[in-house]
Amino acid sequence: MPQLLTNKRLILLLLGVILLVALISFSLRDRGNVSLPEQIIKDAVGAGQSVFSRPAHFVTGIFDNVDSLLNTFEENQHLKTRLEEFAGVQAEVKDLRSENTELKQIVGKEEDLRDYNPIQATVIARNPDQWEEKIILNRGSNEGVAENMAVMTASGLIGKVTLTTPTTSTVELISTLNPNYRVSAMVVGGAKDVYGLIEGYDAERRELLLKRIDADIELKEGEQVISSGLGGIFPKGILIGTITEITIDEFGLTKLAYVKPAADFSLLDHVIIADRVMPEVDGEDNGVTGDDES
Amino acid sequence: MIRFLIPLICLVLFFMEPVFGLFSPLNIGGELNYIVPRFLIMFLIFLTLYYDLKHAMFYGLFFGLLYDVFYIDIIGLYSFLYPAICLAAAFVFKRIPRNLLTSTLLTLALLAIFEFVLYQFFLLISLTGMPLGTFLSTRLWPTMVANSIFLVMLGWVFKSVMVTQLSERDNKIGLY
Repeated sequence: MPQLLTNKRLILLLLGVILLVALISFSLRDRGNVSLPEQIIKDAVGAGQSVFSRPAHFVTGIFDNVDSLLNTFEENQHLKTRLEEFAGVQAEVKDLRSENTELKQIVGKEEDLRDYNPIQATVIARNPDQWEEKIILNRGSNEGVAENMAVMTASGLIGKVTLTTPTTSTVELISTLNPNYRVSAMVVGGAKDVYGLIEGYDAERRELLLKRIDADIELKEGEQVISSGLGGIFPKGILIGTITEITIDEFGLTKLAYVKPAADFSLLDHVIIADRVMPEVDGEDNGVTGDDES
Repeated sequence: MIRFLIPLICLVLFFMEPVFGLFSPLNIGGELNYIVPRFLIMFLIFLTLYYDLKHAMFYGLFFGLLYDVFYIDIIGLYSFLYPAICLAAAFVFKRIPRNLLTSTLLTLALLAIFEFVLYQFFLLISLTGMPLGTFLSTRLWPTMVANSIFLVMLGWVFKSVMVTQLSERDNKIGLY
C-alpha cells in the first residue's frame, strides 16, 4: 500500500502551505487594481457565468410574477386609494421641476450633484460562500464603470463598485462589516437637512448605522436618509433608508441613528450604476481623497 | 468515449453554485438562513473516492483558483482547501467500508469540516463577527440540509458516471 505522506509529499505540502500564506497575505492587502492574470480569469469566468445566470433570472422572474398575481386584489385596493393623491402630487412635481430648471438657468448653474448617467447592469453572480457581501455585475470598465461608483436598485442604494475589469465589476454591498466603508448621507424631512455618515452595519438588526450627527439636532423616527453627494463620489439624492431608532453613540458626543435600508439585498437581479456628472474625487465616499490617505 | 465528461460536470457545478447562491439568504420565520451551495467540493470528494486522488486534487486546485480570483479575491484559500479536503477524503476512505452510504456520510462530514475551517479563517481575518452559535444555527445547519438533499439526489449519478469513466480508462490501458 503506498503511503499517503511520503517525504517528498510532505515537502511539497509544506511548500504549498508557505505559498498559500504568501498568496493570502498578498491578496488581503488593500489593492487598488487587479493584476492582468486576475483580470483575464475574471473576464473569462464572468462570460461563462452570465450564460448560466440568464435562465436563473428567467425562472425567478416567473416566481415573482406568480407572487405578484396572488396579491393583485389587495394591491389594487391599496393603489386605488393612493391614485387620487398621486394626481395632485404629480402636478406639483411638474410645477416644481419647471421652476427649478428656470431658477437654475437664471443663476447659470448647469451641473448639479444630483445628476448622474445611469449604467444598467445585471447581477451575474453573488459571492456563493456569502461571507463577504459581494455581487458581480456584467458591466465593466469598457462601459465606463469605475471604482467607487454608487450602485442602486429602483428602491435605493445597495453598494459601491470595488473592483473593475473590462467586462465585469465587483460590488461591495452596503451591508458589509468593512470598517472603511462610509457613505456621506443626509436626513431629509425635518425643518433643516441633517448631515451624517453611514458607517457600519448591525448584522443582528439588519440595519445601517448613521453616525456623527450633531447631538443638538432633533431627529424623528421615520425620516428618510439619502446620499448627500458631499463625499465626492456618489450623486446626491439616492434613497438609503428610513430611521428606525435614535440613540447616543458610544462616546456620548454625537447621535447615532439606526437606518432600515430601503433596498432589499437578498434577491438582486437588475441594478443601476450611477456615474456622477460632476467631477469625482479619488478615494472613498467620505470626503477623504486618495492623496490624503496615502 | 466522452473524455471531457468529468471536467465538464465540474465546470457546470462551478457555475451553478453562485446561481443557487442568489436565492440565499432564505427568510424562514423571520430568521435569515444562509444556504451555501457546495456542489463542486462534494463532486470532488466523490471523484477522490471512485476515480482517483490525483485528478481530484488537480481539478480542486484549478477550480479553487478560479473561485478565489473571481468571487473571494483572496487567492490561495479555496485552491488550498479543495485539494486538502480531497486528500483527507482519500485518507479516511482507506479505513472504512466502501459503499454509497458511507461515502455520502463521509462527504457530508467533510463538508461540515470545510465550512467550519472557512468560518474560522474569516473570523481570524475579521471579515465576519458572527458568534459560533449563530454560525451553527443560521449557516451550517441550513447549508448541510440543502447540500445533503442535493447529494442524496445526485450522489448515485456521480458514482455511476465515475465508475463508467474508470472502466473505460482501464479498457483503454488494456488496449495498448
